[in-house]
Amino acid sequence: MQAPEADRRDFSKRVEAHLDALYGVAMRLTRNAADAEDLVAESVAKAWASIDSLEDGDRFRAWIFRIMRNHFLTGYRKASRGPEFVGLEATTDEGDAGELAPFLYAQPDAFLQWWADPEKEVTDRMLGEEIMAAVNALPEAFRATILLVNVDGLGYDEAAEALGVPPGTVRSRMKRGRTLLQKALWEHARDAGLAPAGEAMA
Amino acid sequence: MNDPHDGPDVRHVHDGHDIGCLQAIELFHAYLDGELDPVSTAEIEHHLDHCRGCYSRAEFEGLLTARLRAVAAETAPEGLRTRLRRLMDEF
Repeated sequence: MQAPEADRRDFSKRVEAHLDALYGVAMRLTRNAADAEDLVAESVAKAWASIDSLEDGDRFRAWIFRIMRNHFLTGYRKASRGPEFVGLEATTDEGDAGELAPFLYAQPDAFLQWWADPEKEVTDRMLGEEIMAAVNALPEAFRATILLVNVDGLGYDEAAEALGVPPGTVRSRMKRGRTLLQKALWEHARDAGLAPAGEAMA
Repeated sequence: MNDPHDGPDVRHVHDGHDIGCLQAIELFHAYLDGELDPVSTAEIEHHLDHCRGCYSRAEFEGLLTARLRAVAAETAPEGLRTRLRRLMDEF
């Protein structure tokens, strides 16, 4: 049976609008371009097959991201050539984000100012591969959450739906994950002699 | 040239409306991600207006996000777009 043309056109438009982000998430899950393309195509087919489960059209992005994640976790992972994927469910060992404020408070001003200086060529050299390396070194739950929010532009509640966790978990993962990221970048800059010496960080 | 970020936050006004650095830092990420309620947003903006240390910290976070987005964003290959168009034509 052919779907009503308007529904099909609307679905296609929405998929097109979010395709870069869908592909980005698929790349992060599979770490392989060919597998990522397959994952997106299969997830789009699954999403269309279960379009009736989309109760709120405004939630389309979170809804289709969740379908893709579930498809990856339940079946696709087994055939993937990529590394074993760590689940993104809330865990009890994510730590207390509240304990991190004193750490950020101790961030040396010299480092913050050095980082913000747009004219430092060395800053920009550090900032491509090394930012990604630092992000990729984060525990998977933090990495996935930061990338969904900061790169793909999902709101906290959308990211929560896409990841299958409570919104409060996204909030605490953002705090803790971003703090860990800042710590890693600061340590890298210090160890490489790139950043000016500041007072020791806790 | 004097470093305006050296030394304590001398402009920091600890008035009755100020939430303090530690609480501001707690709210940074939600604020920068546009996820704070209006009352907390007003509180943190008041703090940032008066605390150059936290202003620098917030600036760092904003820059990091912009740079992360610049390096991590993916563009779907044209081949995938074509494949999906064909797939969705069959729906």
